[in-house]
Amino acid sequence: MAEPILTVRGLTVDFQTNDGVVRAVKGIDLDVRPGETVAIVGESGSGKSQSMMAMMGLLASNGRASGSARYRDQELIGLSDRRLNRVRGAKITMIFQEPMTSLDPLYRIGRQIAEPLVHHGGYSKAKARPRVLELLRLVGIPDPERRIDAYPHELSGGQRQRVMIAMALANDPDILIADEPTTALDVTIQAQILKLLADLQTKLGMAIVFITHDLGIVRRFADRVYVMRSGEVVEQGQTETLFTTPGHPYTKMLLAAEPTGRKAPPPANAPVLLEGRDVEVSFKIGGGFLAGPTVYLRAVDHISLALRRGQTVGIVGESGSGKSTLGRALLRLLPSRGSIRFETHDISNADRDDMRPLRRELQLVFQDPFGSLSPRMTVGQVITEGLLVHEPSLPARERDRRAVEALREVGLDPVMRNRYPHEFSGGQRQRIAIARAMILKPKVVVLDEPTSALDRSVQKQIVDLLRTLQKAHDLSYIFISHDLAVMRAMADYIIVMQRGRIVEEGPTEEIFDAPKDLYTQTLMAAAIDQTRFRQTA
Amino acid sequence: MTEVPASAVAPAPGEEPQVVGRSPWQDAWLRLRRNKAAVTSAVVLFVLMLLGFVGPYLTPHAYDQIYPQYVRVPASLEAYPKEDAIVPAFQSALERARVTIGEIEVDGSTVRAPISSEEALDPRIVRYVDRSDLFENARIEELSGDGRSGVMAADVYRLHFYFGTDSNGRDLLARILIGLRISLAIGILASVMALLLGVTYGAVAGYFGGRIDNVMMRVVDILYSLPFIFFVILLVVFFGRNFVLIFIAIGCTEWLDMARIVRGQTLTIKRQEYVQAAEALGVNTGGILRRHIVPNLLGPVVVFVTLLVPKAILLESLLSFLGLGVQEPLTSLGLLISEGSANLRGATWLLTYPAITLTVLLFALNFLGDGLRDALDPKDR
Amino acid sequence: MLSYVLRRLASAIPTMFIIVTLSFFMIRLAPGGPFDIERPLDPLILENLNKAYNFDKPLWQQYLLYLGNLLQGDLGPSFTRRDFSVVDLFSTGLPVSIQIGLSAIVIALILGTTLGAIAALRQNSLTDYGVVGVATLGITIPTFVIAPILSLAFGVMLGWLPAGGWGTWQHMVLPVATLALPQTAIVARLTRGATIEALRSNHVRTARAYGLPPFVVVVVHTLRAAILPVVSYLGPTAASLLTGSVVVETIFGIPGIGRYFVQGALGRDYTLVMGTVVVIALFIIVFNLIVDILYALLDPRVRYD
Repeated sequence: MAEPILTVRGLTVDFQTNDGVVRAVKGIDLDVRPGETVAIVGESGSGKSQSMMAMMGLLASNGRASGSARYRDQELIGLSDRRLNRVRGAKITMIFQEPMTSLDPLYRIGRQIAEPLVHHGGYSKAKARPRVLELLRLVGIPDPERRIDAYPHELSGGQRQRVMIAMALANDPDILIADEPTTALDVTIQAQILKLLADLQTKLGMAIVFITHDLGIVRRFADRVYVMRSGEVVEQGQTETLFTTPGHPYTKMLLAAEPTGRKAPPPANAPVLLEGRDVEVSFKIGGGFLAGPTVYLRAVDHISLALRRGQTVGIVGESGSGKSTLGRALLRLLPSRGSIRFETHDISNADRDDMRPLRRELQLVFQDPFGSLSPRMTVGQVITEGLLVHEPSLPARERDRRAVEALREVGLDPVMRNRYPHEFSGGQRQRIAIARAMILKPKVVVLDEPTSALDRSVQKQIVDLLRTLQKAHDLSYIFISHDLAVMRAMADYIIVMQRGRIVEEGPTEEIFDAPKDLYTQTLMAAAIDQTRFRQTA
Repeated sequence: MTEVPASAVAPAPGEEPQVVGRSPWQDAWLRLRRNKAAVTSAVVLFVLMLLGFVGPYLTPHAYDQIYPQYVRVPASLEAYPKEDAIVPAFQSALERARVTIGEIEVDGSTVRAPISSEEALDPRIVRYVDRSDLFENARIEELSGDGRSGVMAADVYRLHFYFGTDSNGRDLLARILIGLRISLAIGILASVMALLLGVTYGAVAGYFGGRIDNVMMRVVDILYSLPFIFFVILLVVFFGRNFVLIFIAIGCTEWLDMARIVRGQTLTIKRQEYVQAAEALGVNTGGILRRHIVPNLLGPVVVFVTLLVPKAILLESLLSFLGLGVQEPLTSLGLLISEGSANLRGATWLLTYPAITLTVLLFALNFLGDGLRDALDPKDR
Repeated sequence: MLSYVLRRLASAIPTMFIIVTLSFFMIRLAPGGPFDIERPLDPLILENLNKAYNFDKPLWQQYLLYLGNLLQGDLGPSFTRRDFSVVDLFSTGLPVSIQIGLSAIVIALILGTTLGAIAALRQNSLTDYGVVGVATLGITIPTFVIAPILSLAFGVMLGWLPAGGWGTWQHMVLPVATLALPQTAIVARLTRGATIEALRSNHVRTARAYGLPPFVVVVVHTLRAAILPVVSYLGPTAASLLTGSVVVETIFGIPGIGRYFVQGALGRDYTLVMGTVVVIALFIIVFNLIVDILYALLDPRVRYD
């Protein structure tokens, strides 16, 4: 085996906070050999990013690194910025999770890619341009002669990540650190970027350190894996070995964390609860006083769907497909055209007052567990707010009793109801949001990406909770998600949306096993590694 | 991270342990208490407010009391009159009584001089002495048998002017304290006024949005293009100079910023998912405003108000400086500074003390405002 | 871009119209008139004066007359300075005010951004605390305190500079310093805050991760972003500084237009007050437009078309 080019020993990262010193990385050891792909896997807060940031001298001002990280014969920890600059950007480069903000919005991308060339590669500004074009071609940016003069905001997320990769490859680095490079991207784009990285590695032969929480990616991509938890490496090994015979309980837990199980469809004679026909939602974009004609964007374009009692209709789509808009329109939270019926009520043109009595039966759970709870209300106040509206005569004691009951049902300790949302973790907050919906005993719940902001292991618990609640109360769900693994475990009927239209719909198994539409097939292919992995695991 | 229940101990049936959380307000309070500059400012501010509201009752001199003999005397910790001023003052008082004066002796707090006259001494001449601010209890002692000579004695009336006196002979300390009171009162009242106007206007525009918002903000834009002083001067010219008018005028101009901030915040909060969640629960407009929008607006509003108070005080001072503020004999820090800068040559204390007071006040308010902002908006740390 | 500018200028016309109308009626509704300030005039003379200045006509006619004159660039005669028209007064006073205001802005901009950036780059150091302290002081002490102190210290006691008046460049030093000081302080604070925020942004992290030299990281990738809030602050501020500061012009005895406002309002010099309102509002509108254009030039994400 080749000698490691990067050797990390006892790396520790401390952050000085108001509540004292927090140790984010607790003395980790790590090796990277030339040309290999090393994955560092862990959930949020495991210290996987911070350890790499420490090595690159990128810690926030309250952070301090100690221990050792040697690149060839050069110790990186404690190195002056001037000396470190000979390594970073030239020998070790990095791409980040946030393609939208990692490029300077004020400069053309050509100039930004040229910067490391000029400062490390000895290029003049004029000579750098052909090289930048070559790099853009290499990372698959279409029409590079034109795009070289584009500003970052004129590119899509995937293209920006390609630009970052071009920048990272500019000086033929030995090591490329990829910090969750695909997390913020849609599934199909994710697959493209991963393929690009793999191809480039074959072509150029650099080592890649891949930081991720996504085990599907790890298996497809990495030669060796380090599993991190709360600042420590709990297990490491060859990818295949680790996946087939995990040693540490935490690794086992992570591997088992993909949601499993299937949802059986409701009986065929189950009544239709919520039905939308030719639902259409348009948004005004631009236009206005003296600003030319008004332009409308059709976010939801003539969509029809029916939800039976006990059924879960899944809406799959990438960002901008209109799936969340559809969910809100069905609850009449957005103005829409077309007809919507709930049980016997025609709510196509219902206004806020008409909807109020129906609201307790039609509930909504949001994606962001941090934004959907009012920060200045206690958990008890948050979950009983609906009762104030729908059962105003309920005495405070009884409200409190119901809050206790609802919290128990979602698996939270009711004594916590006097606390404030910011004192809870993401998963706990999502449980609170679910309790807020469930306390009203609704019939239909629209779940808008309820698991997307959560770690895998927590996702699984929320999925289990939602399924338990569905069984217990005979609930109907509209489940909106871009995550096919979660979708498969939740829905019994799936609608695939793209640019506001339905491209395909059908029972879950059909859609997964025999997708007919080309777009659905691309989606499935993008997620195929995750599926394959789930079958073997 | 694995999901762990918030508390492992399940409550025993019937009795529940009370777990009380730390609200965002309490968090902010803790952060504020750690900020030394803000805490010091709060203490200074408290002392200044106490001085402004109670101080004028405690000073030995009323703010409008005039001491003609003590015009523009410098600040001093010693009592007036100064020793070397006693004899000449006594002399000049006695000269007015047209008597022959012997040697004047000062003994502690009494002053004596043998006096004599061609005719019998009129006992009423003590008035000449009493009339001076320096002496009291004047009397003729050791009157000779023929009544033509005796000793004029008087107690020296000692006065303290720690900050000196102004060009009308009024105690500067008393005037600064009353000025502090007026400035603080105008600053606070004007801010309350701006707060009420701005929050209502901004919240309405932001919450209803659309065309209402467009029109309402257009009005604000137009008012912005009107120079502030124009507006104030007009009001003052309209209704004359009085206390109420000044804080209304300042409040009426300062609410624009508040309206903009509140509108922006309302728009942001309105887009938050918790507001959408409340709508999905069927909560009506009033409930959403009361339970979700207003409590979350409070943070930025509180911060802005603490920065608004010094601004209002500064504006009031500017108006007073231009001669459009409160009227004599009432005063404000701005008016005192204006008088001080007019008398800068020869009577620097007239500028120094009011200026220091105003600066300390504004400093404390600014630091407290900064501290509050850091405490309430922790993303800045 | 050009069409945007034209559109903005077009939308300024109704704004100006409202402002003129509003202030015209407000000042005319105020009690008192331009001729009853000093000793009472002979009724006959008063009547003639009123006739000469159209005060005998109904208010709405006077308003239309004023609007008509305004469209031709005529702001009317001044009542308190009867030998001059308002346009005359502005054409002599405005250059003086602009000269002082512009110098103060340039100084504040250069000094403020430099100090603010240095403080931000050395955050929590003694330099930082020093800059923040001085900036707070500069914001806190009102100009009407600074002005007499400077005038006394450098004009009277040291005798280095004239304590007041107008003519040579020496006359400019103290007023410009007085005006520039608080603005420098505000700009420094703004720059510091924005720089600290920019330094924490992801794209600056990228620049550092790619080992770019400190100069490039700071000047190219941080300061350009940090200057944006300063630009939006300086717009309205420039408008108010260029149209003269009452305090500075009064204390240093400078013949700018800042003084006209207070004098005009107190003397019921309707035309002078109206003229000042028009000029100030015009400056505010123009400078807001300049800010928006500058913003678009500095930030490619902002587009106006």
